[in-house]
Amino acid sequence: MSEIKQIKNLKDFSTSADRFEGANLLCPGCAHSIIVREVLNATNNDLVLAASTGCLEVCTAVYPYTSWDASWIHIGFENSSTAIAGAETMYKALKTKGRLKQPDRNPKFVAFGGDGASYDIGFQWISGCMERNHDMMYVVLDNEVYANTGGQRSSSTPIGSSATTSPAGSISYGEKQNKKDMMGIMAAHHIPYAAQVAPNKWKDMVKKIQRGFATEGAVFINAVSPCTTEWKFDPKDTMMITDLATDSLVFPLYEVIDGREFNITYRPKNVVPVEEYLAAQGRFKHLFKDEYKYLIKEWQERVDAQWAYLQRREEAKV
Amino acid sequence: MAFNKMNLKDIEVWDGNHAAAQALRQAQVDVVAAYPITPSTPIVEGYAKFKANNYVEGEFVMVESEHAAMSGCIGAAAAGGRVATATSSQGFALMVETLYQASGMRLPVVLNVVNRALAAPLNVNGDHSDMYLGRDSGWIQVDAYSPQEAYDLNLMAFRISEDHDIRLPVMVHQDGFMTSHTAQGVHTLSDDAAYNFVGEYKPMNDMLDFEHPVTHGVQTEEDWHFEHKARQHNDLMLKAPPKIEEVFTAFEKLTGRKYNQVESYDMEDAEVCVFCMGTSVETAREVASEMREKGIKAGVVGLRVVRPFPFVQVAEALKNTKAVAILDRSSPNGAAGAMFNEVAGALYNTGIRTLLSGYIYGLGGRDLTKAHLVALFNELQANVNAGKITTQLQQFIGVRGPKLSYL
Amino acid sequence: MAKKGWDEFEIGAMLRTFNGEIENIAGTRQEDRSYTENSSYTASVADWRLIKPIFNKDYCIDCQFCWIYCPDVSIISRDKKLIGIDMDHCKGCGICVEVCPTNPKSLLMFPEQADEEVEIASWPKKDEKEA
Repeated sequence: MSEIKQIKNLKDFSTSADRFEGANLLCPGCAHSIIVREVLNATNNDLVLAASTGCLEVCTAVYPYTSWDASWIHIGFENSSTAIAGAETMYKALKTKGRLKQPDRNPKFVAFGGDGASYDIGFQWISGCMERNHDMMYVVLDNEVYANTGGQRSSSTPIGSSATTSPAGSISYGEKQNKKDMMGIMAAHHIPYAAQVAPNKWKDMVKKIQRGFATEGAVFINAVSPCTTEWKFDPKDTMMITDLATDSLVFPLYEVIDGREFNITYRPKNVVPVEEYLAAQGRFKHLFKDEYKYLIKEWQERVDAQWAYLQRREEAKV
Repeated sequence: MAFNKMNLKDIEVWDGNHAAAQALRQAQVDVVAAYPITPSTPIVEGYAKFKANNYVEGEFVMVESEHAAMSGCIGAAAAGGRVATATSSQGFALMVETLYQASGMRLPVVLNVVNRALAAPLNVNGDHSDMYLGRDSGWIQVDAYSPQEAYDLNLMAFRISEDHDIRLPVMVHQDGFMTSHTAQGVHTLSDDAAYNFVGEYKPMNDMLDFEHPVTHGVQTEEDWHFEHKARQHNDLMLKAPPKIEEVFTAFEKLTGRKYNQVESYDMEDAEVCVFCMGTSVETAREVASEMREKGIKAGVVGLRVVRPFPFVQVAEALKNTKAVAILDRSSPNGAAGAMFNEVAGALYNTGIRTLLSGYIYGLGGRDLTKAHLVALFNELQANVNAGKITTQLQQFIGVRGPKLSYL
Repeated sequence: MAKKGWDEFEIGAMLRTFNGEIENIAGTRQEDRSYTENSSYTASVADWRLIKPIFNKDYCIDCQFCWIYCPDVSIISRDKKLIGIDMDHCKGCGICVEVCPTNPKSLLMFPEQADEEVEIASWPKKDEKEA
């Protein structure tokens, strides 16, 4: 059961038997479930799952329905990481004691949380789990906003985005703080594996998830999850927006091994101007007024600087 | 690697913390996830030392907060095994969110709460503020008055909590420092006898059964939430008490030590009674005996099972009294004492009329002295003699400054 | 699902996905699984839809982009071939149409009340500009 699932191409991948079900209550066009499916389908091993309070959780386990075909737990907003760490610890204990009901399995422990649950309220819990190096994977469904509660800013919300608690107005361009560098912080825990992924680049993503599953110890995954409702785009355009995110390098795809080795895993052939990414979303609409256009320029400069930084880290191997 | 058993003397000199740590070791807990806080820290330190010396086979995880400790316990309990931890005071307060999650998800966990005051102002000593904070959390709460009882109640707690008819987490309380750090003789069970009493963990709705996946921690709104809460309350009210009695009886059979939901001392013919919890019970018993020598028919009632509240047994214990003092060791902050109110409710609604007065005492570890209790029994006797309560209903004892009394 | 009384369900609001035992979930297709009434697989969100996808197999190259990017597990692929759309679970987001690379597309959105046979019969021709 423990060998890595062979997925040479999308046709291979499509033979997966999903362990996540439809008729969940996520919005039409929500990227969360696309990400969840790519994670779950990357392995045939048994799964034990957790989710923090948030869109994914409230839309997939509303009594009397569950959309999960593997054991799943939700406790609170901040602690899916620790919930799955607790389950993983119990697995270790029962393995030692010879009390597992199906001792020949090699289960994978995965916790999901939104950026609010991860960058903000659950930050400490995740840090604890990473530091203790539990054999688990934590996946952030990063839609850069508290979408479940109607679009409040989180520390993942980027500058210039209009959120309900940092709205654009006659004297405001919206969110004032830059997005927290969660990948950098998690990598600084020197965990065996951290990666930023995007569901449009499914092959890159599945490869990273599989590497994560094959890793013994804590794995952190930050997945960009465009939110049709709060980013304000048509539900049909979810993958187009994701393409703009990765191809503008607003969401660079890379991995960090043991906190030191940086690998950029996707280099767009044609890098798209950040302006195109911003223009495709209603949350940045106000930036195109004359008085805020300087912010678009700053956006581009920030993205360029981060990309240069990542490349230097990759080259330096430190 | 096989773990080692420990050879214990029949009587060991243990403080309450060590007694609790020993009970956790003997119960062969599968996962302890914990975070240190005074005065409960020695429980997890003791357990860590057992682990370091190969007396524990289970896993021990030191997490980064009490909230994470209980979160880890919940994940571990849902996975399907024996789980325990310990905390106090501010740590308990930080845990509160997850306490409701553990009980609502019907997961067995044993939580040692070494009682301590709640800030502000900050204080590390024993009172019952944290115990009171837990009283609506849906847990079973039992109170130990001594290291012996901390040991015994821990062993019994697993058996109650993990029973498939119960599946509710249990708090074992003991007084910070007065019990947790005071060494006394503790009658022990051998490792085998203790483990046999606790029994093998029997999984239920366990996440690690890969052939029967389960979903834990769902959302229920107005169309389902009430039914689930009602069920939990029903099981606390109707299923937990007989199970607690059954386990108390089995423990008595094994050890000769008898536990009751309500512990009565010299109550057969008592006219005046002090009703309290924790180490105060032992002090009150000693003073009651001395009062008897002076001709006052004094008795003491200690509450052993705090939740589910033994409404009928409390009324039964107090039915022949003429005056009762209810001692609350937690600031009521704008009301009659919580225990005063609960006992008053039990008496009023069972038609028992006794002269009931309330006392707030011992906050932040302030001693309850024998002199306090002598005065208190005398005050109760004065009430009996007058045929009415001669003071206000709520008084503070042992606090400096002008006398505080209300209601 | 019927609203049960407080004494009629499992404690802890716990839900089971499957009836009885399922040995290897990842190796068992949905149609071969015995879902309980608590699995959302047994529920429908068809009434969320205002527009629906229609699949025209004549143009499909089985690339599986629609399968992987469907948020609602509604593209039914078996043996590497797209065989249909799960209309109980499709919410009508239209992603499948957007990611379909064929010319003309093998999936197109139509009003919910559109007739599949009629629409397939009048399917758009190859777009020469795009080609």
